[in-house]
This record gives sequence, structure tokens and C-alpha cells, in this order.
Amino acid sequence: MKRALPIVIVLVAVTVLLIFLGATFGRSSGTVGIASGSALPGFSEHASTPEQALSNFLQDVQRRNWDRAFASVERTSEAVNKLDFIQEWTGTNGGLRSFSSLEKYEARPLHATNSEAQMRVRMQWTTPVGPVEDVRDFQLAHRGDEWKVVWNQTPPPNVPAQIVPVNYLRWDLVSGTSNDQWGSHNVDSPHVRIVSMNAIDSAEGTVVMGEVVNEDTVPAFVNVNSTLVDASGNPIDDESSFDKILHILLPKQVSPYRIDFPNASLAKVKNVRMDVKATLVPASSDPVIGIMNQKLEQDAQGRSVLHGEILNQTGETVNIPHVIASFYDNNGKVIWVSDGYVQQALLPQSSQPFAVEVPKSVAGKVQNFHVVVNQYSLQKS
Amino acid sequence: MSSSINTACRSPKVSLCWIGAVLLSLAAVSMAQDIELRVPSGAVAGQPASISTTGGGSATFYLEGPSIALKRDVQLGQDIQLSAREIEGAGRYVATICASNCSSSVFFVAAGKPSTLTFLVHPSRAPVGQPDMISGVAFPFDEFENLIFTPETVQFQISSKESKLASHSVETQNGVAWFRTSSGKSAGAVQVAASLNDVQARRVVQQVASDPCRLQIKAQRTPKGVEVQTDPVRDCAGNPVPDGTIVTFTAKNGDQISTVDAPIKQDVARARITAKGTIVISAASGVVMGNEIRVGGQ
Amino acid sequence: MMRIQIAIVCVTLALAVGNLKAADTSPQVTLNVTKAAPRTVELLTQRALLRDYKFAWANLAQALESNSMESLNGLFAGTANTWLKGKVSTQRLSGLSSRYSNQSHKVDAVFYAPEGDVIELHDTAEYDYQVLDGSKSIHSEHAVVHYVVLMTPGADRWVVRQLQAVQHF
Repeated sequence: MKRALPIVIVLVAVTVLLIFLGATFGRSSGTVGIASGSALPGFSEHASTPEQALSNFLQDVQRRNWDRAFASVERTSEAVNKLDFIQEWTGTNGGLRSFSSLEKYEARPLHATNSEAQMRVRMQWTTPVGPVEDVRDFQLAHRGDEWKVVWNQTPPPNVPAQIVPVNYLRWDLVSGTSNDQWGSHNVDSPHVRIVSMNAIDSAEGTVVMGEVVNEDTVPAFVNVNSTLVDASGNPIDDESSFDKILHILLPKQVSPYRIDFPNASLAKVKNVRMDVKATLVPASSDPVIGIMNQKLEQDAQGRSVLHGEILNQTGETVNIPHVIASFYDNNGKVIWVSDGYVQQALLPQSSQPFAVEVPKSVAGKVQNFHVVVNQYSLQKS
Repeated sequence: MSSSINTACRSPKVSLCWIGAVLLSLAAVSMAQDIELRVPSGAVAGQPASISTTGGGSATFYLEGPSIALKRDVQLGQDIQLSAREIEGAGRYVATICASNCSSSVFFVAAGKPSTLTFLVHPSRAPVGQPDMISGVAFPFDEFENLIFTPETVQFQISSKESKLASHSVETQNGVAWFRTSSGKSAGAVQVAASLNDVQARRVVQQVASDPCRLQIKAQRTPKGVEVQTDPVRDCAGNPVPDGTIVTFTAKNGDQISTVDAPIKQDVARARITAKGTIVISAASGVVMGNEIRVGGQ
Repeated sequence: MMRIQIAIVCVTLALAVGNLKAADTSPQVTLNVTKAAPRTVELLTQRALLRDYKFAWANLAQALESNSMESLNGLFAGTANTWLKGKVSTQRLSGLSSRYSNQSHKVDAVFYAPEGDVIELHDTAEYDYQVLDGSKSIHSEHAVVHYVVLMTPGADRWVVRQLQAVQHF
């Protein structure tokens, strides 16, 4: 015990010294021009640099310290009130953002002068559907002796009170009584067919993708399963399309599907066994969502991105829209399927932007694309 | 038993002793074989039957059948009554009676008269005008759900509200009768019936329109965008394509594409496209493509 | 002395292995689908039928020997299930059990529905059948039994819906 005491004292002293050094020099010793943060608590400081101002602001957002965050920004329009500002970060109407929290961020300067700066921030959100990355550009201005975030976000347009006529089309499912005799049910499962399948080797492993169509006259709840089989006929792995498919397919509707096998190499695969399961479900043909102004472009970071707007043409709120896009080569073969969740709810008669990324390896071959939207409505669930 | 006899026979009067032993053995064997079961030869499911026994004294009776196992004390020499419930299941039964030793006999119970028809009809939704589209399979069962294996004649009939469309008479083979037929020309419900004597089973098949024959669209620019809609969508026989069928509208404006998957409601699919400038709109449903129209910008 | 001990151990082991083989209760099933009509039995369906019918008999034997329905694994449905349940419960009530061993099944598919939703099999089964009252054997025979079987596809397997013995096909 007597021999251990000096060691403990030395350890405590070294730890205190390291904490002091970290607190004093830690930030400046990082990569110059990159501000980053996490959900750990910290202290906001005087913003003498654009990075510092943005970091303070995003830490306030992380901690949901709305008073200070709103007070720290410079508003370009008086129309932006505090509620709009908060809702921009916390989401409304049961959108995905309502269930998300900002886990971490990374900011890089795009350009800076003595009076203004532009920073690009990659924000990582934790959501019920997994981590979601959001890239956003911030303007900053030098005011007096400090830098401020310029809040130029326009408030979301208000949906005017209105009556949207609906000639409601839905399918109910009546299941027979339990004492029904064998064969008396006489209602077949919907006829659904896989119209294409393509297996490729990607950076994450083997990916099986394609399209499935409901050939029936009733809606179908669809799931596609795939089994990879090796040369000796033994299954290597089996997976399902999970959320990368439009599960409820109306008659004649086509959906892309994608099945990921993260730990499987295509070189070992001799055969791919596909299985589509379709069951009868009650369904509604509403809401109808249009996908407007779709365009495949390169973004500022050089990535190929398909972006556009989803437009709710009916009177029902879609709380969590989920965009799934299939990309075709010049032979009409599906060469990639991307998906992404839109973080804000899609209100009746209004639109929301979306963007999904295409990997570099396939971007050059893309000739055409097809986008569908999955709808999650809290009322329905 | 046999060892004790052998020990006792080590005496000078060997031959006499052996004769006695053999007689004793024969007596014992004959006593054991005395229990004789006379099982029913033409038992029918759900009808009482009896098993006669020989000998005397008390014994235990066992019955093992397809859906039953029972054990009962009986008096030898009397008939054992099997109730209707005890032989409801058609199939193989093993009757065993045990006194000092056990004796068994096997008998079969046949299915009774037809009481129900299990009738499987597919598909429940059949596109019109397709050859060999509708099929039906019928199994006759008695009232205890025993499959009737003897040949029976099943009458299949297909009828719509207006008229009788087809009729087939089929004899069951291995307990099953089946038919296959083409779907009719017009959409709507048809009734498919199978009957055997006074037993009948009915199913309904919805004949539905086939793929759209041609898709014709028209569009109009409004302050909210371009309102596009189809003419009433029908198949080549003139049947309206079912409501809910998806029509995909695609609008192209340079390298920008807008699409809407719109369901047919009351024979017509409608959508709004917000693309600006001059756009070319087309429509498709399943494998069928529609016309293309050009809408100028405002 | 040591050699004798080793020899005894070897002989004992050999006998034990021999006994294990003799006590193997896994049913032997062969399936012939050439007579099936009007639909041809697909290769995958054939494999699934063979697997599931074999399991069904193995499970049936286990259920009737142990007087427990737990081992049936959903391989029986409809009438076949009701009958089997009835037999297990009445066996249990009477203190009886039955044993099917050395099973061999020669199965012919004779009818396969146009939509593939039911298949009729004719099974000529051979097995050693024993009925026990408690631990006392009251009946034993080498039986040759003809079964008419109806099987229907379930979610992930074929299930036996009718298992009915007949005198002859």
C-alpha cells in the first residue's frame, strides 16, 4: 500500500496535466478549418472565428438550447420567427426529424473573407430508421467583434385551409370465420412477379436488386427474399428486401427492390435463389405522390445525386416519406437501387425536396431512372 | 414352464412322462388359442359394429384406430359392441384381446355416404378471355371427414347471373374429380358449383378485365400545373379496367423527368404535373404504353 | 489379459453400434412422381414433399410413442391433425402407446392439382407396429399398410391434411 501511493499521486498529476493541455490546446491542434462536434456536453465560447460561431450554434442545437441558438443567429427576414426556427430543427407533423437527434457534425469552410464566410456542414442524425446524413451550407457574417450564423432559411409555406375532394378508393379484407371448411376461402394471394434481377459485387458486399410488379387486380403486400447458393448447392446466406422495396403494391404497380449481403462475396456465389411473397392486405390508393423535376447531377462534392421534389397531390399528410429509386443502363437493366428518407413530413398539396446518391462505379452507366415513394402515415399505423 | 417339464422327466419312465408333457403343452396352447376375435368385414364409418369373441372368463379388449385408442374390460364369449363414435374414422383398426395372453385381429372401416364436397377453385380472380384459366378440384367426404375412395360422379357447373355457361360431369378417380375451362368474355362474378347427388359446393370467381387495350391521355395547363388524365381505360373486349390499377404518367422537360403513379378511379386516372416549360407527357400501365402529348409552357 | 479386455471392449462397442443401427427410427421414403397428373410435380416441390412427408411420419411415430403432440411441428393439418390429436389423447387416457419402427414408405403421387394447391399420394408403408399397455406389449406385427394421403402447401412446408389407410388402392 505504501509503495502504491506515490504511483497513484503521479497518475493523478499526469491526468490533470493532460486534461489541462487538452482543454487549452486541444481544439487548435486539430485539422485547421474543420470544426466538429458530438453530443458530449461542452461550453460555448466567444465566437472569434467562423468555425467557432458555427460550432457554438450547432452545440446549442444539439442541446436543444433554442433561446440561445435563436438569439445567436442573424435573421435575414423578420418573417422567420422562433417557432419556425425550432421546427426546422425538431420537425413537425410526425416527420422523421421529430424522432431524430443530431448526433455529430463536421464543418468545412467553403470560402471566407474578413467579413463573411460559407461553411458546409455534414450532420449525422440518429433516427428510428438508422443514421441519416444531412449536408447543409451555412452563411456566416462578421458583426462587431464576433461571427454570427446568418439564418436565411425561409419558413415553410403554410398549407391553406381547404377541402380536397376524395373519391376514396380502398380495399378491405374480410377474412372468413374460423370454422370455414378447407377450400371454402377461395381468395387467392395476389399474383406478383419479379420482372428483373441483377446481382453485383459492391464495396459493401453482394447486392441483389431488380424490380417486382403486381400483375393482379388487388393490392399486395410484397416482400422479396434472396438466397445466395455456392458451387456445391449449399446456401451461403439469405436476406430480405427489408425497407428497400415498396411493400404495398397497387395493381400493375412496379417497385424496385434491393437486398444487401454485407458479408458475402459474389465470387463465391454460383446461383441466386429468389422468392417473392405476396399477401392480401387492406389498402388505400391514396395518397398519390408525384415525383417532380427529377434530375441526375453532380453535387458540389462531386457525387452523383438524383434529386427532385415529391409532391403530395391529395389531402392526407405523409409523415415519413421514403424515396426508392432504380437506375437503368442503356439495355434497361437495373444497375443500382438507392433509397433515402425525407426528414420533414409531406403535407397535403405541398412538396419536399429529396436527393439520393448513386455510387461512382455505376453513375456513368445510368441512362434512366424510376422513383417511387413509400408512405408511412401515423394515422394508418 | 418347459424347463420344469424337462427336469421332471429325468426318470426311468421317460416315454410316459414325455407324452404327459406334450399333452399339457397342447392343452395350454389350445387354451391360449381359444380367444378368437371375429372382426367385422364390411364396417362403415359412423355405424355401430360388433366383434365376437370365443371362450369364457374376463379379458381386456383394446382397439387402435386412426383417431382412437381404447381399453375396456369384456367377458369372453360375448360380443363386443363398437359404438358409432368409436369407428368414425375410416382406415385400419387393430382389435386386441388379452386374457392369459393376447390375440389380435385387423379390420378396415370404409368411408360412409358423401356428405360434403371439398371444392378448390382457382383463380379467385381470372382475366377474361384466357384459355384453361379456371380450374376446380373436388374431393367427396362423408360426414366424418373420411375421403370417399369409391368412384362417384361429380357435376361441375359454371354460371353467370344471366345464364349457365358450362357444365362438366366427371367421375372421381382415387377420390378426386377435377375440371379446367377457359374464362368468359365479360368481366363480373361467375358462380362455379360442384354437386354430387344432393351435396353441393359453390364458389365465386371474379372475371376481371385484362390489360388495358389502349391508353389515351389528354392534358391541360392550369395555374397549379399540368392536369393530365386518361380517357376511360378498357381492355380489348371493352371491359373497364379495375379501379386502383396504376397508370404511370411521365413528363419530360429536357433532362428533367417528372412521374406520377396514379390509380384509376371510376375508369379514369388523373394526375397533376408541376413541371415548367414545354413538356412531353406519356402514360403506361403494366406493359401497355399510351400516346404522347406535348404541352407548351406558359 | 489386457488383450482379452480390449477384445471385450471392441466387441461390446461393435454390438452397441449394431443395436443403434437396428433402433434407427428414421423413416425410409421413396417418392415416384411420374404418375402425377394433371400438373407435373416440379423438382423443388418433389424435394419438399419428400422431406416433409418423411418428417411427418417421424413426428407421428414420436407423438404416438410419447403421447405428446409437441413433436408434430405443424406438419399435420385439418382432418389428419384432428385424428392424430384424438389418438394421442385417447392413448394417454387409456395408458396405451404405439410404436412404429423400421418404417419404409413407397410413395406414388397420383394427382397433383392444376394450381398446385393439393397433391394426392399413395403410400405403401411397411413398418413394425407395436401396441403397449404401459410397458407390456399387447400387439406386435410387421404391417404392410396402404395409405391415401392428401398434402397441401403451407407457408414454408407441405402439410398432411388426410392420412387414411385403405385395404387396397
